[in-house]
Amino acid sequence: MSDFYAANLVLIQSTFIGILLALSVQVPMRAGVFSFAGAGSYGIGAYVSAILVLKTGMPSLLAILISGIVAMVVGLLLGLLVAHLGGLYLAMATVSFDLIVSVLAINGGDLTGGVTGLFGVLSDVTIFHLIGLALLGIVGVALTERGRVGRRVDAVRDDPELAQSVGISVRRYRLAAFVVSGLLGSVAGSLNSLVRSTISPSDIGFSLIVLALTMIIVGGAQSWKGAVLGAVIFTWLPPLLAGFGQLQHVVYGVIVATAAIFVPGGLYGIYSEARYRRTRAKRKPPQGEAPAHEQALAISVPNGDAGRSA
Amino acid sequence: MSAAEATATRPVLEIRDLAVHFGGVKAVDRLSMRLDEGRIYGIIGPNGSGKSTLLGAVTRLTPLTSGEILFDGEPFHTVHASQIAAKRIARTFQTVRLLPDVSVRDNIQLGADAARGDVDERRGWWARNFGTHTSPAVASAIARTRLGGFEDYRPAEMSYGTQRRVEIARALALDPRLLLLDEPTAGMNQRERGEISTLLKELRDEGLTQLLVEHDVQMMVDTCDYVFAMNLGTVIAQGRPEDVVRDPQVQEAYLGKKFRHA
Amino acid sequence: MLQDLLGALGLASIYLLFALGMSLTWGTIDILNFSHGSIFMFSAFTAHLLIPYVPMGFVGVALVCIVVGALMSLLVQVVAFEQIIKRARNRNTAERQILIGGIGVAIIPLAIAQEVTKSNPFGFIDSGFEVTTWTFMGLRGTNILLITLTAAAALAVGTAMWLRRSRHGLALRSIGVDSEVSAMMGVDRRRLAIVTMAVSGGLAGLAACLFTYTLGAITPESGDTLLIKAFACIILGGVGSTGGVVLGSVLLAVTETVVLTRTSGLWVEAVAFGLIFLVLLVKPSGLFGRKEVRRT
Repeated sequence: MSDFYAANLVLIQSTFIGILLALSVQVPMRAGVFSFAGAGSYGIGAYVSAILVLKTGMPSLLAILISGIVAMVVGLLLGLLVAHLGGLYLAMATVSFDLIVSVLAINGGDLTGGVTGLFGVLSDVTIFHLIGLALLGIVGVALTERGRVGRRVDAVRDDPELAQSVGISVRRYRLAAFVVSGLLGSVAGSLNSLVRSTISPSDIGFSLIVLALTMIIVGGAQSWKGAVLGAVIFTWLPPLLAGFGQLQHVVYGVIVATAAIFVPGGLYGIYSEARYRRTRAKRKPPQGEAPAHEQALAISVPNGDAGRSA
Repeated sequence: MSAAEATATRPVLEIRDLAVHFGGVKAVDRLSMRLDEGRIYGIIGPNGSGKSTLLGAVTRLTPLTSGEILFDGEPFHTVHASQIAAKRIARTFQTVRLLPDVSVRDNIQLGADAARGDVDERRGWWARNFGTHTSPAVASAIARTRLGGFEDYRPAEMSYGTQRRVEIARALALDPRLLLLDEPTAGMNQRERGEISTLLKELRDEGLTQLLVEHDVQMMVDTCDYVFAMNLGTVIAQGRPEDVVRDPQVQEAYLGKKFRHA
Repeated sequence: MLQDLLGALGLASIYLLFALGMSLTWGTIDILNFSHGSIFMFSAFTAHLLIPYVPMGFVGVALVCIVVGALMSLLVQVVAFEQIIKRARNRNTAERQILIGGIGVAIIPLAIAQEVTKSNPFGFIDSGFEVTTWTFMGLRGTNILLITLTAAAALAVGTAMWLRRSRHGLALRSIGVDSEVSAMMGVDRRRLAIVTMAVSGGLAGLAACLFTYTLGAITPESGDTLLIKAFACIILGGVGSTGGVVLGSVLLAVTETVVLTRTSGLWVEAVAFGLIFLVLLVKPSGLFGRKEVRRT
């Protein structure tokens, strides 16, 4: 076991960082906010922590906390700025935000180290810090999927107008999604630069957005379980695919594309759908009522989806 | 009718000289109406007569151009759409709107989540927000709408009429003082319509004020205490449903064809 | 000064050729194709691979790029986007999955090109076409610059006229405005979507050919950057407006040129992102936007 640990230390560290990154994109997605700002917050966290530790010798956890607060404030401001946007426009505004962060990093002079980035960020972050923070993130996000808060997030995503009619401030939930995403992304970024002791603009570009997105696509955006699954898969998949030699990146691409096209809910979506079908098959129809499908036949009004999308 | 008569002097909702214009289109114009406590009001009118816009204005989704809305005597037009539930106004939608991936129970619980003064209030903050309990209001709403047995179903598994009942149950779980119903019996068969009509009248007798937008004239005549007929964004006739549907102006505007069928 | 303007116009033309295809599919069939950049890159990459074996000249290279671009785009439509639309619950989820699917699909050609080139730049060496320089009234330029300017102008006018005049264009515009109305008009949405995607891919291919000749070589990742820039051009002018894309491309290229010549550092990359942000905040429908921006 300790041999395995030593041999795969980098991957084990990356797994926990990846989980936090994936959660930072999953949280807004689940709330119906099509935002990739988590990748930008990752950049903010990575650079702010690295600078704080490098220039002031601050303890790691304090640096992580401060950069987390910075990213939450930035997330809130971003959320306020783009509050009136929806769908693709919001997605692209947040992609632009991410890329602006990386351009700032390139042009930050001595502070950010320009194109080469920062080196020698020595810190005392251990694997226990990684596990602890990742668990904290998971528990926090899992809570938002329970009970009243969970239902309300579902309502904000599926039908904002309905959500308002039952007293939910859609605006507040959306802003909260930006803030939480900012915190999670920032912690992921902080941990990355502190564990690897280096950060450069190439770590936070368009490819980071694609990585975070692929984790969510394959894992599933509806639950933290999907984000964790996706993060684990895409941390361990590339080395496993090394057996394919030259083809490994192509295989990787095929997996992502197939998931995006044919499995919109990701692996978690398949699991939850199967679980639902199982309970549905076991259950008896209500007594004294005609079976639902027979009633439905007698009525010509379009059912379900057609009504909702109107 | 005794309950309605006893409280007939207290307006729950009052609309004064309301106008909602979209660019040059006067969707609602110079409209006034008054809803007294404990009665069922109906709005009829042809498509495009402004019924949905009016409902949108009352639920604060559509901004007013001018005029006033008073709820319980207090100005209502500054209230945000997400705050009307806190004022105990519940609504259903023209097309069924339920969360597709959660059970009937959770869909109805969504209404109870908004209710104040529920037993939930006594729970701690933690349990109220993250607990997985079901409110007593949900059970009673399920019983009233005869949805027993459907608790674990998802909306797509049920007929359109049953989905409509879930919507009404969600609105009832909110413990409303004013219930806005947008074509609640669309897509229901005759038996279901009768059941809904009976349910609404029971609720009325318990003092719940209701505003019903409906196409089905028979349903209106059977259910409502008072009817407003709308055309071109304003009220053209009002009064007892039997009288309003016989009004020549109303027949010309809307019922011309339909009334002969009815 | 004039020299800079000429350079900016050349850049604008490349942006325009790339953005025109994206704008066409987004404005008419509601597909914001995020594999457009990958298709762009891969069409030039295919020509690059073929050049040692087949003497082609400029026309040959351009044709290979256009055909490869069109075929890939068509393939993406049939294999990916049609499947997504078929499975989507409503229009919003379709829109979202198409964006995600496009990003997913784009990984494959990118991975192939990166694998073969080891992420090094590639170009059209020994294609049988030489880039030559000319001087006219103190202005310097290349033959490829002239071709680029001409092609961009002609294709922008062509697309606009196609959309305005032809039966096909009418049908497309009616889809852009209201898909139900166009369905009633008997428009075969599927066939139109495929044709539109193929045209869009062809435009990406041509842009890739001209871009590669202009720069001498491009990297496998160059499609990603152009994708964001093209998005900036489109929303700057307004989705669905050909004139808007032209204006957006010129505006972006000129601004970038000014930033490049007046500032030190690498701020030029920020121009497109900053413009996207600015437009979305101030006027999301763009300068000439026809389509209303759907809000939350």
